[in-house]
Amino acid sequence: MRYTILIGLLLALAAPAAITSDSVLSIAIYGFMAASLAVSFNLIFGFTGQLSMFHAASFGVSAYIVAILVTTFKWNFWLAIVPAVVVVMILSLIVGTICFRFKLKEFYFAVVTMAFSEMLRLITLNWNSVTNGSLGITVVDKPSIWTPSGSIAVSSGIAWYYLTLALLVVVYIVCHRILASWIGRCLAAIRLNDQLGETLGIDVFKYKLLSFAAGSMLAGLVGAFYGFYSGFVEPHYLSITLGLDIVAMVLLGGVNSLIGPVIGALVLTALPHLIELSAELRIALYGAILIFVILVMPKGIIGLITSRKHAA
Amino acid sequence: MTQLVIGQLLNGVIVGSLYGIIALGVTLTFGLTGIVNFALGAFMMLGAYATWYLYDVTGLPYPAAVIGAVIIVSIIGYISDLALFQFTRGNLVNGLLVSIGMISVFEALVLAAFTTTPKDLTYVLPGAIHLAGIVLPKIKVAVCLVFLAVIFGTYLALTRTWLGRAAFAYAQNPEAAALMGIRTGRLQTIVVVYSTALAGLGGGLYASMYSIEPTIGSAYILKAVEAAILAGVGSVIGALGGGIILGVSENIGSVFFPSAFRDAYGLVFLIAILLVRPGGLFGDRP
Repeated sequence: MRYTILIGLLLALAAPAAITSDSVLSIAIYGFMAASLAVSFNLIFGFTGQLSMFHAASFGVSAYIVAILVTTFKWNFWLAIVPAVVVVMILSLIVGTICFRFKLKEFYFAVVTMAFSEMLRLITLNWNSVTNGSLGITVVDKPSIWTPSGSIAVSSGIAWYYLTLALLVVVYIVCHRILASWIGRCLAAIRLNDQLGETLGIDVFKYKLLSFAAGSMLAGLVGAFYGFYSGFVEPHYLSITLGLDIVAMVLLGGVNSLIGPVIGALVLTALPHLIELSAELRIALYGAILIFVILVMPKGIIGLITSRKHAA
Repeated sequence: MTQLVIGQLLNGVIVGSLYGIIALGVTLTFGLTGIVNFALGAFMMLGAYATWYLYDVTGLPYPAAVIGAVIIVSIIGYISDLALFQFTRGNLVNGLLVSIGMISVFEALVLAAFTTTPKDLTYVLPGAIHLAGIVLPKIKVAVCLVFLAVIFGTYLALTRTWLGRAAFAYAQNPEAAALMGIRTGRLQTIVVVYSTALAGLGGGLYASMYSIEPTIGSAYILKAVEAAILAGVGSVIGALGGGIILGVSENIGSVFFPSAFRDAYGLVFLIAILLVRPGGLFGDRP
């Protein structure tokens, strides 16, 4: 499995040489960002067993903070990421503390995090003087990268491709390191049976909060980049729809793996563009695929691949 | 000021009864099949469009159009239960995602058929009731009364009939209920179809008060889920109570605080209640 992932990464590194069309490149870039979101979400959902609906809020809040700091206060993009991620961390610690202190389970956790997420969306929608309401903020600036020969602005598709691929790799490695450590085993214990975990001396509250905050902060990191690539930030970034899209990506790819969400996100981002259909029918098809996957492939694409291997 | 507050209070009750009728469907489906059917909002939207089509395009009288819409929506509900929901029994996340997939399918198909242009029904029941300086449109009062009647009727049916007691028995202990001769599979199908019929009724009556668009369902299903949880999942009268509490807190909240945040007032209430009473206001489960 590890070699397959490495080969996939090498192919992704080499791919821009073969991609000539800008639209394909842009799909890949959106796909990488969606995949980063899905991987960070799966830390909370797949590996800790908490169905968080707060992910879109973390993503959106950070996108807003970075966009405001850069456009209004003329901050450097890379510097602006720091307060954005810190704010997301504080928010997720507050929401997480409330939910986990009161031991909200499954559906109740999902609803309360969704309620907090909706409140943040309403704030971004109505705080006109800061967020420009439903029109959102247009971001013209581009981040720059320091190289030995001076700083270059990330504006071309190729540059964004590598930047977002690097983002995905960073998010993936962070989640992988967390899960490979003793923290990951504590999270697994919580997912399987948190009461039993508690009796074994695991501080359930602490590790749930850790997983929730870490996943949310990674989502915040992705949000910072997303706003800059798409060129605008709007309240829709915090919507429940986005949160559910992330869940769909994770389930399509496969819940119990790190690479599954990456596959799911890439497929779901690319699929609507591969089929020539009117906008309405495209949404209908998206829904139909979602239903099909849930009912026919409960373990996702990755489950399908691994079960074939075992059968052979 | 008092008049304004009382007027908003009554408006809150009216909107709340609409939340309540969908919340009733949410609560029944969750109690018996273990899934939260988010597609009920889409079924409500289908009910509204079916009513509009039968009443304004075909020219049926309004009550007949609503009944026709309820029948159409129940048939769609039955087909979706047969084809989809029966495979997600007891699996919360899968049920959630299947119902969300259905929302996209339904909304996109209605959008393709009737475009985004909002549809308005020609006046069903014009006029308003004037009561001590408070003006209430007659249609809203009539709709609210129908919802209340249906919810109390459901309550009576659940407590007084064999089928209703079977449903309670199943909710308490599925295996024991099956051993006592309850056809559990059929019971679940009945509940799923009944909840879609309730949503269809909600949509049909909604169409007489507000203009309809393909996306109306999503706002209402969220409110209905909030109402169901607020009240405590599994409680029938609680679904109505939760809906009314939500409707009133939004309307009264927007009198005293900025009305742009009206959706947030219900959410604050929801979080507060869940933290103090995790089983909901009327629920007994911890």
